[in-house]
Amino acid sequence: MRSRIYTIISGHFKSWYRSKSNIFWTIAFPLLLIVLFGAIFGSGSTKFDLYLQNQDLSGNVPTPLSQGYVNVLNQTGAFNLHMVAAEQPDPLTFVKNDAQLHNRGQRLLVVPLGFNATVMSGDNATIKLFMDQSDQASASLRGIVDSVTVSYAAKIAGAPDHLFVQPVGIVTRNVRYIDFFIPGVIGMTLLTTGVFGAVNTNGRYRELKIIKKLATTPLSKIEWILGMVGYQMILATISLVVILFFGYAIFGVTVTIDIYTVGLVVAAALLFPGIGMVLANFVREAESADAAANAITFPMMFLAGTFWPRETLPDIMKVIANFMPLTYVNDGLRDALIYAQPAQALNNAIIALSLAAFFIILGSLLMNWKEE
Amino acid sequence: MSDNPPAPPLGQSDKVVQVDNLSKKYGDNVAVNDISFNLTKGEVFAFLGPNGAGKTTTVEILECLRNPTGGQARVLGYDVSKRSDQAEIRKRIGVLPQDFNAIDRLTVRENINYFGAMFKHQLDADKLIELVDLKDKRDEQFKKLSGGLKQRVGLAVSLVNDPDVVFLDEPTTGLDPRARRDVWGVIERLKGQGKTVFLTTHYMDEAEYLADIVSIIDRGQIIASGTPDQLIDTHGGKKTLIIRDAGQEGIRQLPLGLPKAELRNAGDIAIPLNNGELTNILMSLAQTPLHDKEIEVRRPTLDDVFLNLTGRRVSEEGN
Repeated sequence: MRSRIYTIISGHFKSWYRSKSNIFWTIAFPLLLIVLFGAIFGSGSTKFDLYLQNQDLSGNVPTPLSQGYVNVLNQTGAFNLHMVAAEQPDPLTFVKNDAQLHNRGQRLLVVPLGFNATVMSGDNATIKLFMDQSDQASASLRGIVDSVTVSYAAKIAGAPDHLFVQPVGIVTRNVRYIDFFIPGVIGMTLLTTGVFGAVNTNGRYRELKIIKKLATTPLSKIEWILGMVGYQMILATISLVVILFFGYAIFGVTVTIDIYTVGLVVAAALLFPGIGMVLANFVREAESADAAANAITFPMMFLAGTFWPRETLPDIMKVIANFMPLTYVNDGLRDALIYAQPAQALNNAIIALSLAAFFIILGSLLMNWKEE
Repeated sequence: MSDNPPAPPLGQSDKVVQVDNLSKKYGDNVAVNDISFNLTKGEVFAFLGPNGAGKTTTVEILECLRNPTGGQARVLGYDVSKRSDQAEIRKRIGVLPQDFNAIDRLTVRENINYFGAMFKHQLDADKLIELVDLKDKRDEQFKKLSGGLKQRVGLAVSLVNDPDVVFLDEPTTGLDPRARRDVWGVIERLKGQGKTVFLTTHYMDEAEYLADIVSIIDRGQIIASGTPDQLIDTHGGKKTLIIRDAGQEGIRQLPLGLPKAELRNAGDIAIPLNNGELTNILMSLAQTPLHDKEIEVRRPTLDDVFLNLTGRRVSEEGN
């Protein structure tokens, strides 16, 4: 049995590395994407990026004093201000995701609700500045915000000590867009090699009567499936190693590889071929199966957080993304490789493995080894 | 058939394939209708008929790829409908499916070893390569081979487990005449080695040339069986005297009293021959301007057998 499985893995693998287009789509294309996206989103700025949420609205319009404060900050020319909507319930998470996407520092200034009224009544008002103390720009940025605040307080109330900036330390890993993108590319590559690998192999081998021929030998269906999954695991490992090496060599992306990473790669190597097998059974003609695989993988790629954080998607898309298996692979890989959050990586790995078990079993049951 | 343990393996019985009242229906469509035949050890058996006659359905039942809906079939003594017997059958048969292609990017040798690894015992790939005369191409990728060479790889793959019976489903369909002859050569070599071969084909000449026994199947039913000579003698009709390129003018020049002549497409005159008439006809032709035309006596073929039995001919494409 081992020998048959080994033969199937070896047959798939030889067919893979002897095809230039396979090499391109599995290795060169992801690397090309990394270079392109890294170049497009990797440019910096001499000004400080600062996210600002003005919660002090009156009838959806910023109150005069809060707006005045924002204007003064803007006039310094020291900041690239990025406004966060007042109704955003979790501005820190929003900033984390948006900053990654645009390769900015994670810094947030919050003007609180009631700012205008508090200042007018002569009480002390507090503005919160969230930033990582290890952020190299923290000292200078804090100095500028402090001096702007003091001068603004003096101007509006004649009393500089009525307005405070309260620094709040947050821990950020200073995740750049490229750090965010690399696990996404790994997830995307596992998705496409897995789904297309299973769809093309099953579709083409069926057309060429190779599956029919194999069905007349002592090879069992389960051995055939194990061979295919084993081959996918080898491809997944190659993709992972090449992409991580490239990310490190070109962009200095460092990652943590742990048991969760391994679990997620194993899950992906089962899950995506499983989806491909299910698909290949519903769409039996190789060409149509290829189109169906495109129809499934492309939306998944774009909605499951491969290229940008899902939090930036419209609400309905976020809901749809929750039903996409790639979402859990991408999130899990980021938690494990980049954010070093083992608990969340484990959660995602468990979900991905459960989905993998479901799809591989369904695909195996649906796969028709006989000709009826 | 009983549900007793598998029948004795080859060696204790000469019946390699036994088919009794076998049927296969797909809804209301009857693909195979109550057919029976046997295949004896060492025979080349041709299952001959047009496309859609039920050849592939029958052979795939024998290969355990389809389940029959009626009747019984045993291969090497094992019941094709029993799961435990199917495993035994798979170990001991060789199969070349219709339109089979091996794996594109593996070489000839790698393909043979790939399919050989599915069995516990496999023949030496180089010996098989020699058998199918592909020594020069053994390290060539399958996709780079011509159609005829690809089919020879398929033949080698079907023999890789040294099977007791080989099923070849339309092995020469789509090949040019020379490639067909090459494939015939390989099948003749198998015959020389005493292999039992079950061949399906729509080529009448192929069945006539290769087979010891032919069963003609049409619309799901076997309409005749026997050796090619028996079938021709029984159903082929009379021998024919052909006068080449004689045309309409030749018809007018024929002596009186001959059997009714027919002018065929190429301008040939065909005269049906009864036993003992040949000498007289030739002598009377010698007195006419036709005496210097090319004259031949044509024996009926399986084409004529099929025509006489069904009223139709099978085209080159098998329709």
